[in-house]
Amino acid sequence: MTSIAIVGAGPSGCYTAQALAKALPDARIDLIDRLPVPYGLIRYGVAPDHQGTKAVIRQFERLFTRNDVAFFGNVTLGADLTLEDLRASHEAVVLATGLHTDRRLGIAGEDLPGVIGSGVVTRGWNDYPDAERPQIGPRVVIVGNGNVAVDLLRILAKAPAEFDGSDFAPESGAALMAAGVTRIDVVGRSGAGMAKFDPVMLRELGRLAQASLHVHGATGEGKVIEALQAIDVHRPEGATREVHFHFGWTPEDIEGRACVEAVRFRASNGEGALHLPCDTVLTAIGFDGETAQADGDGRIAEGLYATGWYRRGPRGTIPENRADAQAVAARIAADLAQATSDKPGRAALTAGLPEAVGYDGWRRIDAAECAACPPDRARRKIATRAEMLTLARQSEDR
Amino acid sequence: MQIHILYGTETGNAEMLAEDISDHLSEHAPEVTNLEDFDPADFDTGTFYLVVTSTYGDGELPASAQPFAEKMASQAPDLSGIRFAVFGMGDSEYPETFNFGGKRLEEMLTGAGAELVGERVTHDASGSDMADDLALPWVDALLAEGVA
Repeated sequence: MTSIAIVGAGPSGCYTAQALAKALPDARIDLIDRLPVPYGLIRYGVAPDHQGTKAVIRQFERLFTRNDVAFFGNVTLGADLTLEDLRASHEAVVLATGLHTDRRLGIAGEDLPGVIGSGVVTRGWNDYPDAERPQIGPRVVIVGNGNVAVDLLRILAKAPAEFDGSDFAPESGAALMAAGVTRIDVVGRSGAGMAKFDPVMLRELGRLAQASLHVHGATGEGKVIEALQAIDVHRPEGATREVHFHFGWTPEDIEGRACVEAVRFRASNGEGALHLPCDTVLTAIGFDGETAQADGDGRIAEGLYATGWYRRGPRGTIPENRADAQAVAARIAADLAQATSDKPGRAALTAGLPEAVGYDGWRRIDAAECAACPPDRARRKIATRAEMLTLARQSEDR
Repeated sequence: MQIHILYGTETGNAEMLAEDISDHLSEHAPEVTNLEDFDPADFDTGTFYLVVTSTYGDGELPASAQPFAEKMASQAPDLSGIRFAVFGMGDSEYPETFNFGGKRLEEMLTGAGAELVGERVTHDASGSDMADDLALPWVDALLAEGVA
């Protein structure tokens, strides 16, 4: 039997497992994650009020229930087992570990309290295990012109009732209401025509109940500009928050003594300056980190592959990572057609990782999250690793 | 009558539903084909087509339905005598473009002369129903009406 280990049970790892299970029905696949729970950025990156996007999880559940795919959660590569161990025990190892670090602006004042990267904010709002809830003030500047910036501003701008059906923790909602956000400025370096917003996500902003939308400098043509112009008229009666979009401004420095007080921008082409007083700066300019030295099909070395953001860098949404995972899986299937398969595979993991959380353990966590769910929420996430592990290890017969 | 399930997918959800419908109809031994692998010249009047498609982006067809749409435009086939039903998948978080994928495929096929059987049904990813819970009774109802 061929044994394949995939490190990282996020969307790329799961799509790779799905494609491999189809291409190699006799293979035994082990999905490893450092968290006790699977699904990575589907659970912790996709916004809590975008439950429809999270529906792909239903595909991945089938891997564990219908295919010979096992989950080994709470296992950190490099600490609980080495890559060498894994390559010795499995015919193929796929690294789908993603990228986690917020890209830095590289300007003065970036380390002042009140400047927070989108990854940190998103993990806090998504109840990533042991992540802290971000401290937000009434005036927020968001630097970035992509969908992550839109997710951040939408959550900041929503009224409590607009989180119905989400899995946004009630405590996070209460903290946001206490923050009393009144103004959000979203600033991009390039012109509006180059902004990476998804038009459909901009149009979604046109339904915000308590935020007025103001777009500055969106001239030209294209779907993004059309969407920006369409929402520029959104002025709900009694709006308590103002959202302003600005284009073509390069951040120069972040001012403040003990904490953030303002951001200064200069015009990206030509003369001019923009000075935005604020008490919170959220950066949403992408993610950073080491990527794989892999060939075009994701092969790093014999029996070792990379997929997803770890292979290609932090670009592309769920469908693009699915396509990538399918391509890498096709390459692995072709390579393994000639390989001998005599490695111990799953038995080695089961013996060597007594602290691992299996799919049954995740099911217990999942059941607890659904059972504790308030009526206006889709789920109530367990927010600490310790509590997850306690739940995962409860025996069924208790 | 032969049943052929055609699906257009972007994230795999419509593909999974197509496979579930196929399993549900196993006694009819339906064929299942990704729309990206289907040529309009292969439509056959002796077959009933179940079209399953999502919607993506700003109300566009999902990636795997786009090559089919291009072939439909370039070949402009005459599909009179072809009968089909459409099951769409959408997300009501985006109401302006909800289920445009299913709507577009329906219009494309009826525009070429094919006959829509029954009403187009849409699953909402942000709703509480599972797609299967809506789609399998829909398929059963079509079969009870004697489409195939």
